[in-house]
Amino acid sequence: MKTKDEYLNLFGVSSAQLRTLVAEGMKNGGDWCDLFFEDTSYSELVLRDGEVSSGGSHIDYGCGVRVLKGEKTGYAYAESTDIAALMTAARNASVIASAAGSGHGSAGKPYISKVSGRQDFYPMKEDWRQSEASRFVPVLQKLEAAIRAKDSSVHKVIAALSWQVSDILMYNSLGETTADTRPVGSLTTTVIFIRGGRTEMNNASKSFRAGVEIMSDSLVEELAEAVTSGMDERFEARRPKGGKMPVVMAAGASGILLHEAMGHAFEADFNRKGQSIFSDKMGCRVAAEGINIIDDATIPGNRGSINVDDEGIAGQKTYMVEDGILRSYLHDRISASFYGVAPTGNGRRESFRYNPIPRMRCTYMESGRDGSCEDLIASVRKGIFVDQFSNGEVKIGEGDFTFYVKSGRLIENGRLTMPVKDINIVGNGPKALADIVAVASDLKIDNSTWTCGKEQSALVSCGIPSVLVKSLTVGGE
Amino acid sequence: MLEKEELKLTRECLQMALEAGASKARASLSKNEMSIVATLDSEVDKVSGCLDRSISLNLYVDGRYGTFSTNKLDRESLRAFIGKAVGTTRMLAEDPARDLPDPARTAKDAKDGKELGICDPAWESVTPEQRIAFALGNAISAYDKKWKIVSQEGEYSDSQYHNYVVDTQGTEVLHSETSFEFFTELTIEDNRGHKYSGGWWEASPLLKDFHPEKVGPAALEEAVMQIGPKRCPSGKYRAVIDSEVSQKVLNPILNALNAFSIQQKNSFLTDSLGKQIFPAGLDIMDIPRTPGEACGKMFDSEGVASSNHYIIKDGVVQEYFVNTYMANKLGIPPTIEDAIRPYIPPLNMPGGRNELMQLCQDGILITDFCGGNSNPATGDFSYAIQGYRFKDGKIVHPVREMLITGNIVKLWGQIIAAGNDARRCRAKLTPTLAFDNVDFSG
Repeated sequence: MKTKDEYLNLFGVSSAQLRTLVAEGMKNGGDWCDLFFEDTSYSELVLRDGEVSSGGSHIDYGCGVRVLKGEKTGYAYAESTDIAALMTAARNASVIASAAGSGHGSAGKPYISKVSGRQDFYPMKEDWRQSEASRFVPVLQKLEAAIRAKDSSVHKVIAALSWQVSDILMYNSLGETTADTRPVGSLTTTVIFIRGGRTEMNNASKSFRAGVEIMSDSLVEELAEAVTSGMDERFEARRPKGGKMPVVMAAGASGILLHEAMGHAFEADFNRKGQSIFSDKMGCRVAAEGINIIDDATIPGNRGSINVDDEGIAGQKTYMVEDGILRSYLHDRISASFYGVAPTGNGRRESFRYNPIPRMRCTYMESGRDGSCEDLIASVRKGIFVDQFSNGEVKIGEGDFTFYVKSGRLIENGRLTMPVKDINIVGNGPKALADIVAVASDLKIDNSTWTCGKEQSALVSCGIPSVLVKSLTVGGE
Repeated sequence: MLEKEELKLTRECLQMALEAGASKARASLSKNEMSIVATLDSEVDKVSGCLDRSISLNLYVDGRYGTFSTNKLDRESLRAFIGKAVGTTRMLAEDPARDLPDPARTAKDAKDGKELGICDPAWESVTPEQRIAFALGNAISAYDKKWKIVSQEGEYSDSQYHNYVVDTQGTEVLHSETSFEFFTELTIEDNRGHKYSGGWWEASPLLKDFHPEKVGPAALEEAVMQIGPKRCPSGKYRAVIDSEVSQKVLNPILNALNAFSIQQKNSFLTDSLGKQIFPAGLDIMDIPRTPGEACGKMFDSEGVASSNHYIIKDGVVQEYFVNTYMANKLGIPPTIEDAIRPYIPPLNMPGGRNELMQLCQDGILITDFCGGNSNPATGDFSYAIQGYRFKDGKIVHPVREMLITGNIVKLWGQIIAAGNDARRCRAKLTPTLAFDNVDFSG
């Protein structure tokens, strides 16, 4: 990690200038001001039709200035760190102090971090920015070869490698300076399969906060296996008859259920505004005994991990549901102040262009004690087993959610039978959470390229052990 | 507005690219100035102002191709960035299909960016006080013994956007537009503690046509109408899809007509050009050059001139969307890279959703989609929906937790009518649509 002075030099500002900018932001009576400097480099290479013939790189650089008056926000940014441009941004953000009412309180209370020392959940052994793009061309070629070697029905392969590194410097009106360097490397592929005149498409991805060292033959092999496995079943798959039925969700990517159906409703901004279906449920039982649901920034190399959030609060592990009881929302400084609790390190933003809001990181459920996934399947007379999800959506107020099922199977008399595809599962978040009647002991974190789109994009991840939900609506013929 | 210096700098990027070793290049400057005032429960919650500028570059180097962008726009940074970009492009494989468009195809009439009349000079004179007044003046307060408003969020925004595209073959095109938008989302709670949300949105490129006063009442009506949902038995129903969300069933068609999907064998409309795939009478057009209308544009990202034309006429597929790269790759004539402002004209019914429900008499009105997917290779789809059961042409109760499934081509084959109520503020002008025999499950 760089030193504070190295970050200051990177952005061409001094500590004295940071103080001046914050003073300018506060001059109209604001009670909190913070600065967020960002220098992001993004690059990508794409293999298509057998050649790595397209690629590019992109730079995003600037600084956001936020001024708070109570819970009200003034925000402006500059795409340069020229002091005159930053002073203009600070002046524009300061307008909120005269436009807003008094509000409930201030986010500018001193916060004593529970985390001591400087933590690094994604040490970058080899910086992407120091590597020539040509070095990664063989990675994509190997991936295509590995995919084609596994399945002779592969017709087209698109493979892409992208990497991004962001240097971040933050300063606030408490005089706190925080910095971070955040890498992320992602390998993705989309494959078209043709068998007997029929076409199927599948995709898979792996993404980590790590440096170049993450690119390995084993990662390539893992991705090739992920995108080709289950294709025999996919070609056989049909839509099942729809209706309400028990659903066994496989460990791993099914964790998107937690993210969409429960996690968003635990984000404190929705609760502060009274919009969440969990707004009045703090301290109440929301799930069966033994169920723990966590949002975690501290998993080494995980796509959702952050050393510090975008308000300078240390990344941490937050138990939202403990033994079935709702214990904590996910807070940024504003909501923490509103609720009179410590921030949980969930104040995140897409870039310097956005003010931070409560966002998830890696959301998962801890393993349970109800045996294996096979045990859960064996307990169902007639239902459905799903192992690949995508396209989840939730309505926060109502708690209604939908997930598109890419693949799964019917369960008949405790056994997996007909493969199914192209269906949706719909339900209600609190009800589905309460309806989880068995949790296996096989927690798996899914390392795909999950990106949450609540107002702004945020890198996240998810995980879950295999679970049995006693009743959900399955769409079908 | 765009400064002369910004235009000059964009043109200089081409010279920098040629000097660094590129044989051809395109540079595209995007500039967006936006102001936002957000409200929460009739108080200002956030004010924000921003100015974004970036230059994107398409570089053609020794038969190779790369795409790059940066918002560090001082000359020294740009020159260093472009030099490195040319070097990166040289590391890629050759691709002879990559090229700039034929200069004869690029727009010659997009000179000052104002030709479509959607860049309102009134935008320059909107004051911060007016923005706050727009945001606060359109909040609503209402209470009913059967429900109360839990929260009300509003967001007013206005912006001025410019896009200037030049290439080394002499293409030079400019697009400018303004936008005034207001959005409200309401959450209400009924007397049993159940929450329902409703949202509405209005936008216009011209201040004189901007009507934010419609937004609050429409959002409230949407939330209140959802109280007391009931389940419907699974089965086949007539489906009326509201104009607010009907683009959901148009998008898979537009995606399937893209030459990239065709080339990748990932389209259910492969080999459909010139064929009667959809019912006689059904037209789908692209009308990007209608003056004064939001989201129009006289050129695509390559600078190729757009035109008002048929995509599907009388059920027959008229065109694929083919950019220069895909034209060279597939050996077919280029067209435009995508539909810019697709439009479905009325079919069998000059009316809106009430008239279509009357026509159908019995069915389910879909007012929102909540997740789901369409398989691009087969056209099979499954979408979760929210809406209302209607009988005798009138809404009887809301429905939730229901899904529709089917195949996009088969669905359009069952079209009963298309209304005349497409919302002008949207990029896709899709009216309320009615279909027969749609599979609902729940």
